[in-house]
Amino acid sequence: MVQFNLPSDSRVEKGAAHAAPEGAKRVRRFNIYRYDPDGDANPRLDSFEIDLAKCGPMVLDVLIKIKNEIDSTLAFRRSCREGVCGSCAFNIDGLNTLACTKAITGIEGDVNIYPLPHLPVIKDLVCDLSTPYAQYASITPWMRTVSPAPPDHERPQSLEEREELDGLWECVLCFCCSTSCPSYWWNGERGYLGPAVLLQAYRWIADSRDEYAGERLDNIEDPFRLYRCHTIMNCTATCPKGLNPALAIAEIKRLMMHRL
Amino acid sequence: MKRLKADVLILGSGGAGLFAALHAHSAAPDLSITVAVKGLLGKTGCTRMVQGGYNVALAAGDSIERHFMDTIEGGKWLNDQDLAWTLVKEAQVRVRELENDLGCFFDRMADGTVHQKAFAGQTFDRTVHKGDLTGIEIMSRLAEQIWARDIGRLEDHRAVELIKTPSGDAIAGVLMIDMRTGDFVFVQAKAVLLATGGGPTMYKYHTPSGDKSCDGLAMALRAGLPLRDMEMVQFHPTGLIAGLETRITGTIIEEGLRGAGGHLLGGDGKRFMHKYDPRGERATRDIVSRAMFAEMRGGNVGSKGGLYITMRHLDSEKVKSEFKGMIERCADYGINLVDGLVDVVPTGHYMMGGVVFDVDCTTELEGLFVAGEDAGGVHGANRLGGNGVANSTVFGGIAGDSIGAWVPSAGLARDPDEDAIAAAVERCLIPLTGSPGDLHGIATRLREMMWEDAGIIRDAEGLARARDGLAELDRELDATGVDGKELAFNLTWHDWLNFKSLVMVSRAITAAAIARENSRGAHYRSDFPQAGDLDASSFTRVRLDGEEMAVDTEPVRFTRVSPGESLL
Repeated sequence: MVQFNLPSDSRVEKGAAHAAPEGAKRVRRFNIYRYDPDGDANPRLDSFEIDLAKCGPMVLDVLIKIKNEIDSTLAFRRSCREGVCGSCAFNIDGLNTLACTKAITGIEGDVNIYPLPHLPVIKDLVCDLSTPYAQYASITPWMRTVSPAPPDHERPQSLEEREELDGLWECVLCFCCSTSCPSYWWNGERGYLGPAVLLQAYRWIADSRDEYAGERLDNIEDPFRLYRCHTIMNCTATCPKGLNPALAIAEIKRLMMHRL
Repeated sequence: MKRLKADVLILGSGGAGLFAALHAHSAAPDLSITVAVKGLLGKTGCTRMVQGGYNVALAAGDSIERHFMDTIEGGKWLNDQDLAWTLVKEAQVRVRELENDLGCFFDRMADGTVHQKAFAGQTFDRTVHKGDLTGIEIMSRLAEQIWARDIGRLEDHRAVELIKTPSGDAIAGVLMIDMRTGDFVFVQAKAVLLATGGGPTMYKYHTPSGDKSCDGLAMALRAGLPLRDMEMVQFHPTGLIAGLETRITGTIIEEGLRGAGGHLLGGDGKRFMHKYDPRGERATRDIVSRAMFAEMRGGNVGSKGGLYITMRHLDSEKVKSEFKGMIERCADYGINLVDGLVDVVPTGHYMMGGVVFDVDCTTELEGLFVAGEDAGGVHGANRLGGNGVANSTVFGGIAGDSIGAWVPSAGLARDPDEDAIAAAVERCLIPLTGSPGDLHGIATRLREMMWEDAGIIRDAEGLARARDGLAELDRELDATGVDGKELAFNLTWHDWLNFKSLVMVSRAITAAAIARENSRGAHYRSDFPQAGDLDASSFTRVRLDGEEMAVDTEPVRFTRVSPGESLL
């Protein structure tokens, strides 16, 4: 049975409301989660009415506009702004995705922006990613070999072997998938690695140059680490890069079966 | 104030910083090594954003001499030739290290060896790549190695000042702000590596990530170090343009599109590049950017104020297979790269200039090392596409080797100049006492000013305007406060600090551009359009002298090859 450990009076309260400027043409309301864990106050939801006629097309453009022009205290992560770094991952309109590649026009009604679900909040939309990163390190996500590398050239890899890695290497480690997974919400702290880390695990198992596939499978063959995936498929539905972590997990399970 | 200690402190977690950490750790595993970064390790900075690839002479028929000559010709003979030689030679070592030791996998040929593609300005197809998103592969593999080893991480920590000893003869450590709490932290270190990356985000259109603000170069200036070649700012010809309200604007769509036969069109729908260069769209970045800027100034602009690139005359299946990443990125923004017109504008991309350094990555300040885009002299007046990530990984690794050898034998934990720490804290706190003002209006004016007066086409009048305007903006910044009630993750306070760094480095760019009265590579003076005598080439050096930018010049030493000669 799931245990909720929040204080009885903990709830997200209604926060400040910022009205649209006069003469605004295309107004849209953005409701944004605000929280400072160092303070005593409950989290709140501030609302900002934005004139889309004077704003860029992406959700990240709105967040930057709000910080620059309306509320300078809004905190969020961002870096590359082109879908490569995975920093600006939030829960937007109920879906975990990257703010920099999420177009506002694809969202109906108010736009709700929350931090990634089920991670500790550092401030506002900024999460603490220590647990997923520690889990990532636990799968030894680097090439492991016994045979020495050729002294004067790379380890050969055929075009077909190289293609095995397509759909895996493109992951930007935004953790949208893991934090969308109900099983990860309940079991993440108890050892379930979650889809992002399992996709990375499979990336190394599938690499023809790596010589530790057996050990890698041993490392994750565990009721919690691997088998808490129940094929819910939220991970695949939410991935902002269009990857399929559920398929990678299925491939791992298939390999486990075949080696029995 | 919180105080920490490390044997080695590395500022920056791009290709240079992480390679340095790994090499220092391999060379001297007992050292305590800490990587400090403004965001999350491996996620910030520009190495991750590398699209095109990594130049290295691997294939039969290519040679390091050929790569070297391309680099020197591309740099218009201003490069430090020993640095350029080190780049091309060590790139061969580093790319194998990336593949065989770190597990990067670059695209392959049918025989299983790595594929190398054509890039502008090079006489051989030598650019190793992972599709058109090479940086993700390199950064992911590097970051994993850091997690795998016993290397310390200070994430969300921004460096604000290099702190010397009281006598000023060596570095003692670095003052930082822990962005998660807003507290100051002093990290004492025997060796410090400056690898924060440059990033010319002081231009209206720019490619680098949102956290890039030339902090490293600004800290180096305040520490009294000389920066060379600062007038050399590279503009990439094909940045997306979608209005100034969006951060999409300025992001690159990659150089390979022009290499593959893409056409640049003016607002009138016609090609124009052949008016400027017989190679047309395949001319080097500096020439194409200048031609585009000239067309735009002449009013031949498209609907969004820039120009167009199109691939629609090419085989669409081939375009789809070669540029999958770019096509998807454009599609994210509702742009059809395969058979549409894409609005583009030249965009500030890379700073060839940086801290004067030696081939072992030492600087004139004992204990301070530098690598990557913070370092100057490798690329001369123009960087070849594909030499950027080669530069950061090659010299990052060398810095790590040097630090690993130097610290155990000569490194000392030195006491810092406490007065300097106090002064730096005070400088950072300036905006917290003032009343909040139009901070972002100042930043917008900075970017307009640099774009118009110290950008792609320059002259004495415009540069003087920029010099005076920058001094005024600096004063305005000091008088503009930010809401300082909460210092934890206070992005606006960090915006202020970012803009202070950008204004300082903009002043260095402008001072160097005023001093160079000729046109070389990325630096073009419409009032001095000639390249000048190549044999008498000299490079600029800027130092902060009190409040002024002091510029001198020094002759280039042709240690390996002189103008008119070739190693081939």
